[in-house]
Amino acid sequence: MSQQRSSYAVGTGLFIVLGFAALAYLATQTSSVANVHQGASYSVDAHFTNIGQLKERAPVKIAGVRVGQVQSITLTPGQEVADVKLAIDKRYDAIPQDSVATIFTSGLLGDQYVGIEYGSSKQMVAAGGTLSRTKSSQPLEEMLGKFFGAGGVTDNIGGTYVVKADFTNVGTLSAGAPVKMAGVVIGSVQSVRADPVKLNAQVVLAIDKRYDTIPDDSSAAVFTSGLIGSQYVAIQPGGSPDALKDGDEMILTQSAMQLEDLIGKFLVNGSSSDKKDAGDGKSDTPAGKH
Amino acid sequence: MNARAPQHNNVVIQSLAQIGNCGLFLLTLLVAIPRSFRYVRETVRQLWFVGAMSLTIIMVCGLFIGMVLMLQLYNVLSIFGSTSASGMVVALAVYRELGPVVTALLFAGRAGTSITAEIGLMRATDQIDAMEMMAVDPIAYVATPRFLAGLIAMPLLCCVFCAMAIFGGHLVGVTWLGIDNGTFWSNMTAVVVVHTDIVNGVLFKSLVFGAVVSLIAVFQGFTTPPTSEGVAYATTRTVVASSIAILALDFVLTAFLM
Amino acid sequence: MTDSVRATPDDSTLVRIRGLTTVLNGKTIFDALDMDIPRGKVTAIMGPSGTGKTTLLKHITGQMRADAGEIRVNGENVADLSREQLYKLREGIGYLFQNSALLTDFDVFENVAFPLRQHTRLPEVLIRNLVLLKLQAVGLRGAARLMPNELSGGMARRVALARAIVFDPMLILYDEPFVGLDPVALNQVLKLIRTLNQTLGITSVLVAHELEAIKQVADHIFLIANGKVVAQGDPKTIANDGSPWTRQFFGGEADGPVPFQYPAGDYAQALGFAGAVK
Repeated sequence: MSQQRSSYAVGTGLFIVLGFAALAYLATQTSSVANVHQGASYSVDAHFTNIGQLKERAPVKIAGVRVGQVQSITLTPGQEVADVKLAIDKRYDAIPQDSVATIFTSGLLGDQYVGIEYGSSKQMVAAGGTLSRTKSSQPLEEMLGKFFGAGGVTDNIGGTYVVKADFTNVGTLSAGAPVKMAGVVIGSVQSVRADPVKLNAQVVLAIDKRYDTIPDDSSAAVFTSGLIGSQYVAIQPGGSPDALKDGDEMILTQSAMQLEDLIGKFLVNGSSSDKKDAGDGKSDTPAGKH
Repeated sequence: MNARAPQHNNVVIQSLAQIGNCGLFLLTLLVAIPRSFRYVRETVRQLWFVGAMSLTIIMVCGLFIGMVLMLQLYNVLSIFGSTSASGMVVALAVYRELGPVVTALLFAGRAGTSITAEIGLMRATDQIDAMEMMAVDPIAYVATPRFLAGLIAMPLLCCVFCAMAIFGGHLVGVTWLGIDNGTFWSNMTAVVVVHTDIVNGVLFKSLVFGAVVSLIAVFQGFTTPPTSEGVAYATTRTVVASSIAILALDFVLTAFLM
Repeated sequence: MTDSVRATPDDSTLVRIRGLTTVLNGKTIFDALDMDIPRGKVTAIMGPSGTGKTTLLKHITGQMRADAGEIRVNGENVADLSREQLYKLREGIGYLFQNSALLTDFDVFENVAFPLRQHTRLPEVLIRNLVLLKLQAVGLRGAARLMPNELSGGMARRVALARAIVFDPMLILYDEPFVGLDPVALNQVLKLIRTLNQTLGITSVLVAHELEAIKQVADHIFLIANGKVVAQGDPKTIANDGSPWTRQFFGGEADGPVPFQYPAGDYAQALGFAGAVK
């Protein structure tokens, strides 16, 4: 019987140990206090001016193939660049020193990863070395702006004229966003800055010289393309016989509607109940950034 | 201990009386805790029966919950091209809700029923009276060790369940569906917070559920009429009452902890 | 510890019951019952079914509280005892349950060792010897490693008896010790009761219906009915005391003071003849 008793005790002990092991696993491996553990790897530094949504343990890829992961992301006080430590598998130890590390996004809403494009140097980067050539994360707005906009900054060869417009709220409108009339792109947003005196946003629109007959009482509105799309400036022509000229200011403006306000108008109880999604609402729709 | 003493026809009054009796019984159990310290061996033995013996079902169910959750999430999230988030959603769903609730429901079915049936049969065969006669307090010797064992076993079982669910999610998501391993973990670790998700979600909830399930199981065993029908009826009651209590308390706790 | 309790030889009465009154669910079980159970003797309590004989045993052990009256076991008023004192008293009382009430989790050896393990810190060797001694006394040393569900009814009762005497109690209460036993098992239990009483001097109280068995073993018989003692005496004299109770009980008549009919309304009326007869 004493043997029987001790077998209970041993089994129960095993059970308790297993339970605590599972707890330790949950607490260390799946949560934010996780310490990075991995196989044989060496670490390389890379400095980025903007890491976007890059997270620790995000993959590092070469030609789309995973070769390692992000070990740590630190910001040295006093510096404006993020120091990203990449842990790369020992097998891929022949990365040229002048390779370019870029932060890419997989898909529109997907996660970000570090891609390495090989350079041509004979010198290989050593463990603890630094990849000096980096391309930072491209904010989605900029990318979209390049896509839809009239070539963004590159179109400033002299084919545009500049018009100012004041908005009380520009939402997430940023430089490079398209300016459209009747749905057709006619220019791009050159700059967005807050006016310290009038306490509103002053947007400078660069409009293609071809469209020089826009009436000067036209209105400008900040619209959003689709629910989670980027924002752009839409111009609705007025009826004045005079056209807008370079340096003019548009008087009639309509500010960006915030997604919350829109939804709030739809729902009965308004937007007062928006405090709960801090933990899980991780998808970074442009509209969720105010 | 005579549950049949107040006979009310009104269902509401009857349920209230049950809850009241249950609460009084909890007091009796708690008062008996110091006296049950001398029966530590018995607590360990019960921990074996309610904890270690429930391990298989908990592990298998945890694995499948994690697997099916990952499969569903992958299919839905692939519409938005964000399958990489599925690992983190599995973790959050399991830690905050599914882990404690499903473990508690399984625990009620596996361990709760056996506690009720065992105590009911012990009463039906005069074993409880025999203990009284041998100057062994049945509350301290039978009831409290089982209650404590349930209290200790549930959080441990829940941890095992969650770990298995993560493993199952990893198996389906990473091994079969090809989500990147690092993305899987990095998303998870970025979102899961030890305090809110693991301590409040996994440990606290399962501790409360463990207390409730084992209290109901022991209470039903002790108060049922000591006959075969009485024991059968009490066993059913344990599952029904525990399930309702678990789900209702889950809502209250979630609202409270958030 | 039982020795100190037992050391009051001047009092020949171990259990003294005075004016015991109990009402359960509106039904009077005992109505000012008086009873003296002599020390060192075998006392049988008989009576029609449902007269509360088992309830009486539970009063003696303090498992049930009386509504009025007092019960003194070895001079101590059971109703006045605290939980600890009551448990102390019960260590000196063995109780044999009708269905043995062995703990189904443990084997025979552990069942007998159970009270020792709970109340003493004896070394394992001593526990082993004590348990084997008691099992030898009931003739089941060879069955020490069987589980309760492997035992026959008679064996289970003998194991329960071994468990009841493991502390060498001053008093053993037998609740229906002969029910459901075949003649061989019955005689074995009977022999044990007699041996325990004669060799160890243990006061025995048995509640039973088996007239023949009781006549063989009992020194004193109480006949209880309607909440009172209706007859008492030794087996030879009690049958001849001439009261209708003893005549019916020891003569085995179907009707008498214990009615054949459960109290009911008028028979003819129940059958619907009431109008026709009148």
